[in-house]
Amino acid sequence: MSSATRIQETGTGKVPVPRPRRALSRARRVALPFGSLLLFLAGWQLLAASGTWSQTLVPPPAKVWDAFVDVSTTHDGVRGYNGTYLVEHLGISLRRIAFGAGIGIAAGVVFGLLMGTVGWLRSLFEPWITFLRTLPPLAYFSLLIIWLGINEEPKITLLAVAAFPPVAVSTTTAVAAVPSSLVEAARALGGSRWDVVKDVIVPSALPETLTGVRLAVGVAYSSLVAAELVNGLPGIGGMVKDAANYNNTPVVLVGIIAIGVSGLVIDGLLLRLERAVVPWRGRV
Amino acid sequence: MSSSETKTAAASAPAATEGAVRLDHVVHRYGRGGETVTAVGPVDLTVPAGEFLVLVGASGCGKSTLLRLIAGFERPTEGAVRVSGAAPRPGASAGVVFQTPRLFPWRTVQGNIDVALRYAGVERAHWPEHRARLLARVGLEGTEKRRTWEISGGQQQRVAIARALAAENPLLLLDEPFAALDALTRERLQEDVRRVAAQTGSTTVFVTHSADEAVFLGSRIVVLTKGPGTVALDLPIDLPRGDIDAEELRESREFAELRARVSHAVKTAAAA
Repeated sequence: MSSATRIQETGTGKVPVPRPRRALSRARRVALPFGSLLLFLAGWQLLAASGTWSQTLVPPPAKVWDAFVDVSTTHDGVRGYNGTYLVEHLGISLRRIAFGAGIGIAAGVVFGLLMGTVGWLRSLFEPWITFLRTLPPLAYFSLLIIWLGINEEPKITLLAVAAFPPVAVSTTTAVAAVPSSLVEAARALGGSRWDVVKDVIVPSALPETLTGVRLAVGVAYSSLVAAELVNGLPGIGGMVKDAANYNNTPVVLVGIIAIGVSGLVIDGLLLRLERAVVPWRGRV
Repeated sequence: MSSSETKTAAASAPAATEGAVRLDHVVHRYGRGGETVTAVGPVDLTVPAGEFLVLVGASGCGKSTLLRLIAGFERPTEGAVRVSGAAPRPGASAGVVFQTPRLFPWRTVQGNIDVALRYAGVERAHWPEHRARLLARVGLEGTEKRRTWEISGGQQQRVAIARALAAENPLLLLDEPFAALDALTRERLQEDVRRVAAQTGSTTVFVTHSADEAVFLGSRIVVLTKGPGTVALDLPIDLPRGDIDAEELRESREFAELRARVSHAVKTAAAA
């Protein structure tokens, strides 16, 4: 394909950037994050080597790497951390998030659709959802333990309760803002009430709802350690909590980095999904 | 008109009232800040089946409201609206084309047509043929897979027209559909609408503020007064219909005379 036709295909309004400058900007996009990471590691190493703080407080990067290898392999007859590998800890936590946030997101979408279309339902539920949203998850975790015990139930419930408000709020706002002109167009074509919900309201609200889903997964993620405070092993949050009890800073850091990196990956995937599912974002 | 055209037109018209519009002493008022404003009426108007009626008037004269009453989106405060002999219902009585295309951006061009076919109760197996026919009718072959925001404003309005034709309603309502388009695109679309109306034989009510557009399209023109909208002038147009040379028609002396007459009536009605 010639470059001329390719320029045509990108459509109007886009000026093609000359090749060398584009290569430079791409190099910069890769180099900057890696550079900052290297700089961070170097600073960390220097700080640990300076001996200002004890190794218990600030272990050097090499020790954290060793801890990472330890919890990922079997050594001296010990399998990972507390009998479970790091990936397994992470996998168990991700399953809790998938279940908990999944329930919260599903409930949020249903409530959002109802509240966005029926005015009095919105007046009825909105204060409660705002109340729930401002509460830190730890505040109601104790209550969940009293009610539901210490097994999976309180953990899943906490993650569900944390994930619910962002989706409910964003969906409500999006549904209430559906252009009436498009609703009228669907009615003029002979669409029923249900057709209007299915073919206009849901797709029109979907971009905002997906933004809410990304927020919800973020909130669930940041509630993970709280959810696994009690009886959280196996689980990545439980591992961090348990290691902290023994002043095992390297494992705590391994856990924190694992949570952070997996969170980045999941957010990246959700962003991709969003772009693929709602190409009409901003076109309504 | 050739004899074959007469035959098909007769065959596709089951009853004389199908697509006919009747307004009996219609008044429309709405509340604004504690006082009621009369937007329309009283209006008495009968549009026989197959007629191409153009409603002309200055902006704010209530011509869009009148169209919304015929479409069934609004109910008259007084009087009665009848379409094909019954009270109008949105989606059942007429195909509607709005000022803006109002396409669904989450659907492609094809998807926008298909949703209309589904609402019209056309069986899924027959969608491809109907879709192809509708797109051909508005000159949009080959755009099926395009996103609605990738095509030009004129093409978007063409999709909107094809979508409104999908249910094959005997009445087509158009509310200043070409106001936002450039002059050249507007003339082309006017020619297409004139041709489509002649082909389908449907009753058409077209709202515009342009005397030029009114004379080119209408077989009858009704000029509305301003606030409230009432009938100021009811004028049959005897320009040739069917297969015509649009360029020749626009440049003809009769066309110029009619346009001047309608233009004058619009100005007088707006000032009164």
